[in-house]
Amino acid sequence: MKRRSIDGSEEEKNKKPRSDEEEEEEGMVNVAELGEDLILEVLKRADARTLGRAACASRRWRRLAEDERLWEAVCTRDWVRVPYGERQLRSVVLALGGFRRLHSLYILPFLAAAAASPSPMTRRAHLRPRWGKDEVQLSLALLSISYFEKMNPSNNHRGGSGCG
Amino acid sequence: MKREHQETEAGGGGGYHVATAGDMTGAKGKMTAGPSMGTEDDDCGVDELLAALGYKVRSSEMADVAQKLEQLEVAMASTAAAASDDASVLPQIASDTVHYDPSDLATWLDSMLSELNAPPPPLPPPPPVAASVHHHHHRFDVSTASAVSEPPAITTVAPLRPSDAYDFKPVPAPAAASGGRVVYGLDPQSEMIVSPRDQKRKRTCSPSSSSSRGAEAGRARGSRTEGASSAKPAAAVPVVVVDTQESGIRLVHALMACAEAVQQENLKAADALVKHISVLAASQDGPMRKVAGYFAAAIARRIYRRRPLSQVDRALDSPALDDLLHGHFYESCPYLKFAHFTANQAILEAFSSCRRVHVIDFGMRQGLQWPALLQALALRPEGPPSLRLTGIGPPQSDHSDALQQVGWKLAMLAKSIGVDFRYRGFVASSLADLESRMLLERDGNEGDRDDEGEEEAVAVNSVMELHRLLARTGALEKVLRMVLAVRPRIVTVVEEEANHNGGTFLDRFTEALHYYSSMFDSLEGSGGQAAEAGEEEQQQHRAMAEAYLGRQICNVVACEGAERTERHETLGQWRGRMARAGFEPAHLGSNAFKQASMLLALYAGGDGFRVEETDGCLTLGWHTRPLIATSAWRVSAAATR
Repeated sequence: MKRRSIDGSEEEKNKKPRSDEEEEEEGMVNVAELGEDLILEVLKRADARTLGRAACASRRWRRLAEDERLWEAVCTRDWVRVPYGERQLRSVVLALGGFRRLHSLYILPFLAAAAASPSPMTRRAHLRPRWGKDEVQLSLALLSISYFEKMNPSNNHRGGSGCG
Repeated sequence: MKREHQETEAGGGGGYHVATAGDMTGAKGKMTAGPSMGTEDDDCGVDELLAALGYKVRSSEMADVAQKLEQLEVAMASTAAAASDDASVLPQIASDTVHYDPSDLATWLDSMLSELNAPPPPLPPPPPVAASVHHHHHRFDVSTASAVSEPPAITTVAPLRPSDAYDFKPVPAPAAASGGRVVYGLDPQSEMIVSPRDQKRKRTCSPSSSSSRGAEAGRARGSRTEGASSAKPAAAVPVVVVDTQESGIRLVHALMACAEAVQQENLKAADALVKHISVLAASQDGPMRKVAGYFAAAIARRIYRRRPLSQVDRALDSPALDDLLHGHFYESCPYLKFAHFTANQAILEAFSSCRRVHVIDFGMRQGLQWPALLQALALRPEGPPSLRLTGIGPPQSDHSDALQQVGWKLAMLAKSIGVDFRYRGFVASSLADLESRMLLERDGNEGDRDDEGEEEAVAVNSVMELHRLLARTGALEKVLRMVLAVRPRIVTVVEEEANHNGGTFLDRFTEALHYYSSMFDSLEGSGGQAAEAGEEEQQQHRAMAEAYLGRQICNVVACEGAERTERHETLGQWRGRMARAGFEPAHLGSNAFKQASMLLALYAGGDGFRVEETDGCLTLGWHTRPLIATSAWRVSAAATR
């Protein structure tokens, strides 16, 4: 689970635009009263960092920000021409630990590595590298191995989910 | 100068190796020595002297040597100026050069410089055995102790500088003799930067045991009398370690010498060398020390292996332990992951558009290769096939059913991602015990899923298993025939890229030394996936991985016959074997290459790893040395009956 340091100012920035927006429309409204759907809509457009930080704001925010749908969006946003059906991909990834885990373990380090050294392999050195089929395949493979390693054969339930 | 005495006694031209200096098989003394030659030093300086003696300077050291020569000139000039007695200083220096090999100019210069500039630190008492050991350079003939032919009347000149005043114990000859005082040819790089004066002192040993030593050495040169008097330093004392690289080279040479001794059945010498290696290894750092340690232990084991395997040995051979270490090896470096990913890619491609597939794994272990394949099959655009997996593993000593447990886990994984999965485990102590029909037959309860219309596509996967079969003649051929009988669509073979199975023991040893040095180096370098493992965990993985490799080293070096199962062969050799058995190569695609390259990018130290493609096979190596090779094979048209 990603723990980012709680950044008060960032939080404020996140909350302010929304509450301002709300104020404009309906007068004084507390963020807490915003419908969860609306928050999710907003967060769907957030990048990974923002999501991570939002998850540190409060328990409610954490629950919202850790929603797999959001992380699915984060992961698949940059994927280019990935030949997996959405539903197919979703079911497999969720079974293997989820998109949030996929991102934190196998996508983030890739991005960091790619950003640090634009190798001839990636051939591009911009901020948001587009991910092709091979990168996706590799990260999924690693996710599956990690899940498998954490499985406990004596229990009859999946041991690889969630925390850690 | 007493040098002239010894020279004349040894017999005229023997001391002056001008004639033989150019010929490397001659005695290794640097020739200056007597006062008669001293005059040369006085006037022309070093260059001419060296040239006259046919010194070979290695081209890589040219610049270095030149610089040092300059320094030396300055130093000599200043020393000469400082000393009250010119005449005695320079001949002193000149005579001291006798001990070094002409070809190693750099070392000689170093020693000169170190002498002139700074006195070497005082020597601790040398370990008795180490003093009797020499390094071997295969280019040189072995000769018996040079001191042998020295008359006992050698005394040394009173030291001019305080550096010589330190205590130095000469090696007692009998002790040295019992320790196997074999003198190998002098290797330039293995020379210690020790004041040559000390070496003269060392040579105060009686010639009485010379004959016994000669017999022991077993390779006395005929020209012993001629060459002996010239500078052969009597002992290499591991005291002044000037730089690690140098001592590293010394270590390698010691290892080679030891292996050669073993090959020559000269076990006493080998034993002495093993101890020397341990001493040298202690001065090293990092991977070299570990590799040397393992090799030394393996040689020691080979020397003493007359006694039967103890309980401990048998316990250490357990497959469970092997699997555990294998698992850590998997985590600590990318070789196995590379193997799995490239093999899986080949299998995936072979299985495209098949509805029923069967994978036979010759070395199931912990099944780490298969989750990724399951996931890839699950995400196939045309949907997952029904997968049958047959895993083969060795009998477990504690009767635990490791094979079944792995199958269970895989089945659970497959279920959660929606792949129809069946598993079968076979326990076999050797692959040659299996029959093709055993592998192909299905379980009874297939139900209505078993539609006979759809033929099963079979893949055979072998990761570092085939080389074990080479220990028994005919085993590999039998297994390959069995594979043919199974009629696979694809056979993936991953093997270590090294020849640890050919030629003499020494060849094998040399090859293994290079191979495992690279391996250990790469272990240092690879940081593993930063995301998952912490620093401590990484270190644990690495330590276990080293132990895993250490066991291989032990097998390659210490075992023979059926016991020696780590009979690695190169890709070229495997190609030949597969072709003869009736297989044709299937090229691994660019997908595999890309995946492999990306995998490496994840590893910190990924700079050192290299993925290369040769004729459709992929190899992963460390810097310029390929260490593991994946290849894929199809049944050739000619072989299908």
